[in-house]
Amino acid sequence: MKDQRNLIYAGFALLLLLSPLFLNRYWVDVLNSVGLYAILGLSLNIIVGYAGMFHMGHAAFYAVGAYTTAILNTTYGVPVLWAMPLSGFLAGLFALIVARPIIHLRGDYLLIVTIGLVEIVRIALINDVFGITGGSNGIFGIDRPEIFGYRIRKPAQFFYLIWAFAAVTVYLFHRLENSRFGRALTYLREDEVAAEGSGINTAHYKLAAFVIGAIWAGMIGTVFAAKMTIVSPESFSFWESVVMFMIVILGGSGSIPGVILGAFLVIGLPELFRGFANARMLFFGAAMVFMMIFRTQGIIPPRPRKYPIDEATP
Amino acid sequence: MEQFFQQLTNGLAVGGIYALIALGYTMVYGVLKLINFAHGDLFTIGSYLGLTLLTSMALTDKLGPFFGILLLAVMVMILVGIVGILLDQVAYRPLRESPRLSAVVSALGASIFFQNTIMLIYGASFHVYPQNILPRMVVNVFGLHIPMIRILVLLASVVMMLALYTFIQKTTIGTAIRAAAEDQGAAKLMGIDVNGVIMIVFFIGPALGGAAGLMVGLYYGQVNFTMGWIYGLKAFTAAILGGIGNIPGAMVGGILLGVIEALGAAYISIAWKDAIAFLVLILILIVRPTGLLGERVAEKI
Amino acid sequence: MKKFIAVFFPLLALSLLLSPPLFSAETVKIGLMGPMTGPWASEGQEMKQVLDLLAEDINSAGGLNGKKVEVISEDDSGDPRQASLAATRLTTKGVVAVIGTYGSSITEATQNIYDESEIIQVANGSTAIRLTEKGLDYFFRTCPRDDEQGRVAANTIKKLGHKKVAILHDNTSYAKGLASETQGLLIEMEGVEVVFFEAITPGERDYNAILTKVKATSPDAIFFTGYYPEAGLLLRQKTEMGWDVPFMGGDATNHPDLVKIAGNAAAKGFYFVSAPLPKDLDTPEARDFVEKFQKAYGHAPNSIYAVLAGDGFRVVTEAIKQTDSTDTQKIADYLHKEMEGFPGLTGKISFNDKGDRVGEVYRVYQVNENGEFILQP
Repeated sequence: MKDQRNLIYAGFALLLLLSPLFLNRYWVDVLNSVGLYAILGLSLNIIVGYAGMFHMGHAAFYAVGAYTTAILNTTYGVPVLWAMPLSGFLAGLFALIVARPIIHLRGDYLLIVTIGLVEIVRIALINDVFGITGGSNGIFGIDRPEIFGYRIRKPAQFFYLIWAFAAVTVYLFHRLENSRFGRALTYLREDEVAAEGSGINTAHYKLAAFVIGAIWAGMIGTVFAAKMTIVSPESFSFWESVVMFMIVILGGSGSIPGVILGAFLVIGLPELFRGFANARMLFFGAAMVFMMIFRTQGIIPPRPRKYPIDEATP
Repeated sequence: MEQFFQQLTNGLAVGGIYALIALGYTMVYGVLKLINFAHGDLFTIGSYLGLTLLTSMALTDKLGPFFGILLLAVMVMILVGIVGILLDQVAYRPLRESPRLSAVVSALGASIFFQNTIMLIYGASFHVYPQNILPRMVVNVFGLHIPMIRILVLLASVVMMLALYTFIQKTTIGTAIRAAAEDQGAAKLMGIDVNGVIMIVFFIGPALGGAAGLMVGLYYGQVNFTMGWIYGLKAFTAAILGGIGNIPGAMVGGILLGVIEALGAAYISIAWKDAIAFLVLILILIVRPTGLLGERVAEKI
Repeated sequence: MKKFIAVFFPLLALSLLLSPPLFSAETVKIGLMGPMTGPWASEGQEMKQVLDLLAEDINSAGGLNGKKVEVISEDDSGDPRQASLAATRLTTKGVVAVIGTYGSSITEATQNIYDESEIIQVANGSTAIRLTEKGLDYFFRTCPRDDEQGRVAANTIKKLGHKKVAILHDNTSYAKGLASETQGLLIEMEGVEVVFFEAITPGERDYNAILTKVKATSPDAIFFTGYYPEAGLLLRQKTEMGWDVPFMGGDATNHPDLVKIAGNAAAKGFYFVSAPLPKDLDTPEARDFVEKFQKAYGHAPNSIYAVLAGDGFRVVTEAIKQTDSTDTQKIADYLHKEMEGFPGLTGKISFNDKGDRVGEVYRVYQVNENGEFILQP
């Protein structure tokens, strides 16, 4: 059973890898969007899926990363991809500062606070905070990224950049999931009180999950800025956070393949429905409800962890 | 000082509507622990249905403004209440036993669905309520200009809130709702039809939202299909501010949010007004993690 | 999961198959990119109505150089990311030119995509100055720029003799651009003072708090640079406050719904600057167009931007006709250099080297007691 699943994933990865060869530019670009959101979803998954915190403001960290890249590139001439570490770092730092006082809020109270956070960030961006965000115009004229002197411009080139990033993300997060840290988060999500009783510093772990998710969102902000060549406040609205949230829950909270599939559905379906013209979002809304009803745990829920005893005992 | 009081009345008018919508959030949340993100769109449906009924049936011509609007409000509330029950049956009921966030995503899907349904039925352009249905009078109190209709709107929200509060506190059904909110399992064991209670809740909450939609239409005159999203978000904020699940909390939270927005716009900055409101919310939650009137009980021990 | 794959991939494959072949000789394809869903859906949907009508016109008259014209519309939802997808999709459909879109930052997210694919783009509502300052050879617009509108607005304020002006915008890049442009010009003028300059939040219903605050600065005129829904509410609530200060708007307030929202009484006396409405042009093209639109859809066109999209379509088809080619370089050259005083629906159209429309486009309108827009001399 497990092998069969892995076979499916491998086949899927291969298909994806070869897809620019037989898809046209538009569909490759759709896959680029899917890839970006898959990575965003995976980063949010650490907070929502593993640590079980209701966080609907992920676009705030994404925005910090994208704007950091845009400012570094257009004002200081830093090559786009070089801006990535600092973008991630600042997004993480921002998360650390804002999450510290709110991390103890439970469930829905945390949800509204994170919504408030993303709204405050968006309003700050529109109002040209510190005079560096360009207000509602945003920042434009961001360079295309360059790797070893090779300039990335076309959708197919971005495809490999984005999905390579996605592959690295999957690998790292898979390792994280099975690490001591990941297990602690799972424990904390399942029973916070018991986790605390077992000597897990819950506030510390929650904060760490928040910061890791934010760092990753900030780094993907770099890729977004490079791809769009313009960043503006519209791209970081509350709705954007909602989209990321839906990706995680619909795909299967806490499950890496689930989140990737969620990105395909939430980003891909509105594109597939373009044929319905003005009704495309209507069908999308209905599809969301029905998919959720039929797979109430998400489409690919995480597999329960098994620890075979007979191998461990001699 | 005159400006301060003028802004206070501005805030109260906005806050009254927030409070009315917030009640729907808080009632549903109280019983189901579900954030009904489609609630804002039920509010929009209310304002569009109100417009259709108002123009097609000419109630205010036949019955005069007062009884015409009253009958209209009752019809809108019943219809939106029915939509609310249908929404619950289709989109939420199958998700009762599943993780809470699954229902949230279902609610978001329903919100997108409703919004686009309204757009396809009524078209994407703005719709306008006929003018002069309600007498346009301005009351001058101590140098403050207060349009009569604003007093009526505030009065209507207060009346509806008090009626709801009495209903919840004094009647048998109200007691059943409170019992189900406290502990669904125990309520079931005490012979309370919890599914029936949920249906009632999903009738009353959306009905109040629909009434708020009608009031916004009558008061501001202009409705469009995306307006529910902003109002819904504001009302959700208000419900949390007051302590979600708590009915007086929703009222206090709504009024307070309206006043904070008005005063923030007046004395700090108009453009930062929403950010100020959220900042105040966050500060309040840091000090009181379950809102102003929320119960301070530790969860799950 | 398997069931899901069984559904999803055939669906994907099907939709790929259904996409029409890339190039076909029989039709000339013109793209339309506009907000068909989302908050600005009414604009996008009317843009489509206008283009469909104009295309039908050409086709029933024998087509363009003997070929049929086909309008392919894509939804940008008023969101930069979705717009970039819509643009990429249009580039795969073999369109010669794309008309659109409405918002400046949305247009900006697509400019490079069209330019790299050598497709003509004619924006209809994107007035931000910088869009044509990049030296893109294939980018044009039929709407004038913010600086031009700001100049007309500032002159009008001065001419009407207002001394203390409050400027309100809504923090969209268009409204803010126009507001700062006008503010800059007014400050330079003698005897005019800007006493208030701030942004409202679009999409709300209650602007009483803002109006109360503006009133405290006692301006003798308000200039609002945002869109008609908010302008209508501001007018209405201003009147309800019993405040009869003169109110002026930018071209985004030019929409019949403004009067519906505000009511005739509150809208009376409202000034706005705008490109002329088709009804005020006595060119045969404009009259003919309004009549046909009325017949097809039962009402006159609502949005000036939809009409400007129509002008975009007409200049492109004219260029294709004149050059007898669908080579975008030739079309671009024609539009830049040879098109001179083309009779558009909104007046004569010529483009400069940057792709901006040249000539005085703006007029001043005032609303009369019946809620009609009256062209001011």
